[in-house]
Amino acid sequence: MKPLNRTIVGGLIFLAVGLPFLQLVIWSFSNRWFYPALLPQQWGWRAWQYIFDTAGAQIVGAIGQSLAVATATAVIALLIGLPAGRALGLYAFKGKDVISVILILPVIVPPLCVSMGLHHWFIRLGLAESFSGVVLVHLTFCLPYAVFVLWGVFSNYNPEFEDQARSLGASTTGIVLRVMLPMTLPGLVVAALFSFLLSWSQYLATLIIGGGKITTLPIILFALMTSGDRPVAAAVSLVFVAPAFLALLFSARYMGRQSMMGIW
Amino acid sequence: MGDLVLEKLSIRYGRRPVIVDFSLRVADGEMVSILGPSGAGKTTILKAVAGLIEPVSGEIRLDGKSLAGVPPEKRNTIMVFQKPLLFPFMNVEQNIAFGLRMKGIAQGEVRRAVQDILALTHLDGLDKRKVHELSGGQQQRVSLARALVLKPAVLLLDEPLSNLDANLRQQMRELIQEIQEKTQVTTLFVTHDQSEALIMSHRVTLLLDGRLRQVGKPQDLYHRPADPDVARFFGGTNFFEGRFKDGFLHTGFGVFELPVVNGNGLPLTATIRPEDILISATGDFELEGQVERSHFEGMATRLRVNCRGGHLVVLTGREEFFPGQTVRLRLPAERIRVFPPGTVETV
Repeated sequence: MKPLNRTIVGGLIFLAVGLPFLQLVIWSFSNRWFYPALLPQQWGWRAWQYIFDTAGAQIVGAIGQSLAVATATAVIALLIGLPAGRALGLYAFKGKDVISVILILPVIVPPLCVSMGLHHWFIRLGLAESFSGVVLVHLTFCLPYAVFVLWGVFSNYNPEFEDQARSLGASTTGIVLRVMLPMTLPGLVVAALFSFLLSWSQYLATLIIGGGKITTLPIILFALMTSGDRPVAAAVSLVFVAPAFLALLFSARYMGRQSMMGIW
Repeated sequence: MGDLVLEKLSIRYGRRPVIVDFSLRVADGEMVSILGPSGAGKTTILKAVAGLIEPVSGEIRLDGKSLAGVPPEKRNTIMVFQKPLLFPFMNVEQNIAFGLRMKGIAQGEVRRAVQDILALTHLDGLDKRKVHELSGGQQQRVSLARALVLKPAVLLLDEPLSNLDANLRQQMRELIQEIQEKTQVTTLFVTHDQSEALIMSHRVTLLLDGRLRQVGKPQDLYHRPADPDVARFFGGTNFFEGRFKDGFLHTGFGVFELPVVNGNGLPLTATIRPEDILISATGDFELEGQVERSHFEGMATRLRVNCRGGHLVVLTGREEFFPGQTVRLRLPAERIRVFPPGTVETV
């Protein structure tokens, strides 16, 4: 693409993605903003003060909780998704189609139904209103994505690299650490980011299974939004979006370097 | 040392037998090629020697010791695959050093060994290159260097030239021969290209449908094929029936004085290579025929000649023959190969 065209396309993408955020930024720095004014009548730090002072402890707690849940979900999704994706991508076996349907079911069925159904069982099993219960319900949504991403990764993976490494003297651990993981790293990063972000943005499932005891950031965000304080809701939204934005920057930078060539 | 013995090796994929009763001995320092069409099971044998496939029966011994149950990483038999399979996240030096690192060899020693092998494989100066910056030929050389640096007892090469163009193929072939001579590493070399096998190896093993059909010096397989299938694989096209009577071979193309093989009086199959048939437009050769087709092949012209007893394919360096022309042929008796009964399955 010519540099000029690239600038135009880049600009358009920035406008499409960035404009809604600009609105949020303006909201978060406004003290008074009424129709039909194009910009706030009064600028101020009130929303941010509220987040960092008044509700600071609550929001920091929620961020910590969200981070913990999303990280645990992403790690478990990878740990299960990696062998599952490898098996589905590399081997032909009976029931492969059935497995793919089962995997996609929690994504097709409305989250409310899945969460309600699981809630019943989680109460019986003592998992309701617990950290592990919330991670488990998040996994029902995140795991299919992780498996599908890694299925794709391993469909393009040549296992002969492992035979070659073994012939050159690598042990099984050596092959996993020195060959398989580096070769599939871009795919693993994508799968982990997907799972992390999906878990990070879960509201309904967290509310139902967590029962208000596990207060992640979306739970706080919804509470603030319904309170009608738009500047505060905008500020919390920005805090909420921050990790996704950082993850996107990280992956773009990382993927740019590796340029998906790791998946051979 | 690298004295390799394969004894009555049988290998199956699921229920399908791929290799049946394959026995071969490769002496220390010898270069033996396994030749056969694709799907004959050549690579499977290499994988079994490398330990990547378990044979269902038979034994593989290296320097007298059985390799049964020895994992691939402890065998000292290193396989170089058809594709270079260089790790894309490592540079040339790191790729070559991979095996040494896996063995836990000290950094300084690794660097020295890598430099030595870079020189041997004519890759000097490329050590910091990334894999995708290398040409196909260079990638294949790095792959070879990566195996050689470990000084294996047996080097297993799986069609390392098949992905290269003709020019590079020639260079790589010479390089492999040069390295093999220098290092005297026992080498088992798989190829489907008969000329490659004939040029490169001390001995050639012909594998057809998972079975060993003939093993011997390149000249043996070429001039003295054990059966018509072997002859056919090496470009044999002229097969004809005959019968020994009173010490002479009687065929549709004439009577020839040949050493009698077993099966006196029984119908036999005989063959003669297209380039061994003498042809002349005017000469006094015994057999008369008419040129049916003529194909110019560069170094020679391939003619299909219709004779009294059937048609013969003749390869000649002369270009004066044309379709419809009447020619005279001679089949030198010493060039005719007769297959004793029992060696012929399909003719």
